[in-house]
Amino acid sequence: MALRALQEEQVRLKMRLQELKQLKQELRDSPQDKVPFPMPEVPLVFRGHTQQGREVPKSLVSNLRIHYPLPGGSALVTFDDPKVAQQLLQQKEHKILMEECWLPVQVQPLELPMVTTIQVSSQMSDRKVLVSGFPASLRLSEEELLDKLEIFFGKTRNGGGDVETRELLQGGVMLGFARDGVAQRLCQIGKFTVPLGRQQCPLRVSPYMSGEIQKAEITYRPVIQSVLVLNIPNVLDPPELHDILEIHFQKPTRGGGEVEALTVVPQGQRGLAVFTAQSG
Amino acid sequence: MAADEDDKKQILQEHWLDEEFMKDEENKRLIEEIAKENNQLKEEIQKLEAELQEATRNSQIKEDIPDTKVKFTSAENSEDDSQFLNVSCSFQVNSQVPYELQKGQALITFEKEEVAQNVIRMGKHHVQMEDIYVEVMAKPVPLKSGVRFQVYVEISKVKINVTEIPDELPENQMRDKLELSFCKSRHGGGEVESVEYDMRSGSAVITFVETGVADKILKKKDYPLYTDHNCHRVIVSPYIEKHLKKFQVFSGVSKRTVLLTGMEDLDTMDEEIVEDLISIHFQREKNGGGEVEVVRCSLGRPHVAYFEE
Repeated sequence: MALRALQEEQVRLKMRLQELKQLKQELRDSPQDKVPFPMPEVPLVFRGHTQQGREVPKSLVSNLRIHYPLPGGSALVTFDDPKVAQQLLQQKEHKILMEECWLPVQVQPLELPMVTTIQVSSQMSDRKVLVSGFPASLRLSEEELLDKLEIFFGKTRNGGGDVETRELLQGGVMLGFARDGVAQRLCQIGKFTVPLGRQQCPLRVSPYMSGEIQKAEITYRPVIQSVLVLNIPNVLDPPELHDILEIHFQKPTRGGGEVEALTVVPQGQRGLAVFTAQSG
Repeated sequence: MAADEDDKKQILQEHWLDEEFMKDEENKRLIEEIAKENNQLKEEIQKLEAELQEATRNSQIKEDIPDTKVKFTSAENSEDDSQFLNVSCSFQVNSQVPYELQKGQALITFEKEEVAQNVIRMGKHHVQMEDIYVEVMAKPVPLKSGVRFQVYVEISKVKINVTEIPDELPENQMRDKLELSFCKSRHGGGEVESVEYDMRSGSAVITFVETGVADKILKKKDYPLYTDHNCHRVIVSPYIEKHLKKFQVFSGVSKRTVLLTGMEDLDTMDEEIVEDLISIHFQREKNGGGEVEVVRCSLGRPHVAYFEE
């Protein structure tokens, strides 16, 4: 009796093993990072960019933007020539002629945080879904579209639930639900007809691969063309102060040079400096 | 005779018993063997299942971000208070979708999608190369999937992380000691707004009232923490928040670019000349073609071709 049970189990196990081996083979044969469910399609085109042999970066990084808060009583001076900035920085204390007085200010280098390495893991999300299949003729703004989807998929009678997060992606919308089970239920149904504006649109709901930052290495890099001027006293009106600082930092006799941009934040106020990638 | 019979019986019986015994033994061995095999199979299945799950559910992307020079572009004002409390850095990452162009293959991009689809529909094309006609096959380009996301990193101007806090005082007392130590201006500290102390991990997040204090403290890697009788050096580090937005796995589809195969025998020809000949052929409407944007072929070593949006 025991023998027969074991023999039967073995047959079952062997079949399962065979099945798995085949799956593994299929996975190996198909493109490596294939996900086992439909993904939104992004049209790509070959524009003649080829490479032979050499290792190339796997990704393109774009739209780098850094926001740097400037405290009150400060100025950010950007010079045409980085050498001028470097020269100015050799002395920490500077005196500026304002209202016939030489007033002391501090000059500091500006260092910005930059991400040098990033590690992201992706996995199938338990609470998020991807909605896709929007007609190209849809004329709705991002906000309008997200609202309409949230209304539809927020209803329990449509199989949905409370929507917590929403994001417009290329060729799809991600919806995140507050409760477990909603995402699975919607994916099982798969197809929905959703009213969007005047149209009834057949949409598809599929699992969403979500990403999470595992590690991000950050280093501070100097902005070689700019200096930060701190502790500017509150003695002049902002426009006047701007001109006086510009005149001061233009003068080669005071260690300055051609000023490309100057931003002043008067005492008691605050500002934000925006930095982007330098082209070329 | 009788004894003989008996003997025989005895022997038979013994033999039978023996056989029974052997059968039992064998059965036992067989059961053990199968059980062992089954266990091995189970292990193997478990391993494979884990492997498969790993491959389909979870994947890691590691990217080195090339060193970029940044430049001041504009001054802004913001309604959002939190923007003044953080230095923030954001960027977009799009994975490159490559296609390895093998020997004898070419990629051709048309200006119009309809033309490309028509060329694929026609399938076989006879392209004149010098004095021979080469039969090439037009197919869609099989592309891999890619991933795209936005990274947001915020480095606080008012908060710092403190680690390696010794476990020598009750929680409330240590919280006060942290506040007292970090508000000492002679060590670079300043007025403390709040202290979040986690005794288990020996770490804390200190929030200062003024911006600038955190920067000053972070110039050094450690900071003196005074408890009743001791002075400890605790480790200070920037308080960083990171998150992803618009994370998306996508499959690349090539609508305007077509893969051409069947030119393996042209390895004596120059790639550029072949590219020109392909371009001339597919430019002609009578060949089912149309305006060509670019052609690239490989007649020797493979090229890696990059697909863009």
